[in-house]
Amino acid sequence: MKSYINEFLGMEKPTDYYSGLLSDIEKLNKEHHFITTLNKDISYEKDGRLPFTVKANICVKGFETTAGSKMLRGYLPPFNATVVDKINASGRFSFLGETNMDEFGFGTFGLNTEVPARNAFDNDYVAGGSSSGAAVATAMLKYHVAIAESTGGSIATPAALNGVVGFTPTYGAVSRYGLIDYANSLDKIGVMARCAEDAKVAFDTIRGRDRYDTTCSVETIGNKKRKKLFVIKELMEKAEEPVKSAFERLLDRLGGNYEISEIDSKIMDKAIAPYYIIAMAEASTNLAKYDGYKYGFQNEDTNRKYNDFFTDARINFGAEAKRRIILGTFIRSESVKDKYYSKATQVRGMIIREMRSILEEGFIISPALPIATPKIENASKLTPTQNYAMDIFTVPPNLGGFPHITFPYEYHDGLPLGAQLVTGHANDYALFDFVSEWEELFEYRFRHNLGEI
Amino acid sequence: MNDLEFERLLKITRLRLDDLEKKAIQKDIEEVIGYFENISEISTEGEEKAHHPIKVDARLREDGILGFEDVEMLKRQSKLHDGYIVGPKL
Repeated sequence: MKSYINEFLGMEKPTDYYSGLLSDIEKLNKEHHFITTLNKDISYEKDGRLPFTVKANICVKGFETTAGSKMLRGYLPPFNATVVDKINASGRFSFLGETNMDEFGFGTFGLNTEVPARNAFDNDYVAGGSSSGAAVATAMLKYHVAIAESTGGSIATPAALNGVVGFTPTYGAVSRYGLIDYANSLDKIGVMARCAEDAKVAFDTIRGRDRYDTTCSVETIGNKKRKKLFVIKELMEKAEEPVKSAFERLLDRLGGNYEISEIDSKIMDKAIAPYYIIAMAEASTNLAKYDGYKYGFQNEDTNRKYNDFFTDARINFGAEAKRRIILGTFIRSESVKDKYYSKATQVRGMIIREMRSILEEGFIISPALPIATPKIENASKLTPTQNYAMDIFTVPPNLGGFPHITFPYEYHDGLPLGAQLVTGHANDYALFDFVSEWEELFEYRFRHNLGEI
Repeated sequence: MNDLEFERLLKITRLRLDDLEKKAIQKDIEEVIGYFENISEISTEGEEKAHHPIKVDARLREDGILGFEDVEMLKRQSKLHDGYIVGPKL
């Protein structure tokens, strides 16, 4: 079974390994903007381990952590997130840097930040979001794992668009302590790697209970094999060419080993509205803590009255953050709370129930996105709801906290297409086994292999 | 959403937008709220609310005093005066 981690740890490395790697990254970063903070102190003598990166919304002590926002520019966390402590304590990984992202995780294509990351295969194309830099870094670096985060598809989408394996665990399997929150009931820290085995090793390193996160309560992870693959008819109707035909070819290849059936869903294609209602309601409260004197941006004029001081500071939010603050606040208004927020939590319950029942019998498989990778110039013209519609496949498992994995399955015009596999709560290991089997049949392509020895 | 409601939201969210930004964001917000209206077509009578995707145990920690690992670094996040964080006037 392919494992870049084992390959790296078992080989002799030149003593200037990291200095050469840092220099190569800096060159490519000028075009692809995938790294926001580079750990220039990483060295062979001190470290000698496999490089890992973290998404820029996960706190690393002493390293600027901005969550892709001007609001947090200059913020140096005084502590490590639990996942960072765990991966450091494993003795196998060294911190390389933080990766670019949509501001606070608000985006599907990685464009909602000052300098967006660009696709690893072709920099005219989007990297995907919100963990844009994590996916590009994974596609660029031969020996590396990325710690990323998903709220509604922020691991699956960029992983698919950059042709890497993206894994989002069961909600509550990995501690969120030290994560800069977007929406607490939806956020999940996960991983990206160049193969399923490395993603599994990284997941095993960071998972487990944490006294600092009471929602981190999933202790036992299982591996129930499934021989059935379900394709949801109502979701597949949203897929466009060339994705539709390519996905049919994938199913043909899997048909020898799995029983595949198309089934109807009463509710899964309705998931986008309740997802965004819940996410925005939670995000609008989380963003209230950025007041201009506690984190990052410092408003120097402390003679201003509190409301004016607070309002001045909030100019630093980008357009999508402002939209979500306004919408989230509106949704939580007393007069419409039941109509939107309460109703959305009920629909969420219905989606979880239906998916749980399907996933008892088999995996749900789909493309990760309904379209092929768009050019940046085209994606930036989409309206908010056109953007949200791109999350049709990734939102249902995220809303329900179901573990899912994305893997490359075909290349179209030189760019990868990714598929998504979903399983039941706490059955995460079954996903790695499925993708490892797939990797026996299909060779992934990478345009760059930085750090190759 | 009418202008009055939009201005009310800007006031309570403490967001100041210039005219161009105001026009663009108000239009986007109307589009998104229209999209959210789709949820009203789903019958949810008798359905339970799901605030979390999984059942979350209410495990509480023992009360106790824990020292923060780096108080000096924590303080360096903000402007200080005699060891106190300087904030705006109330």
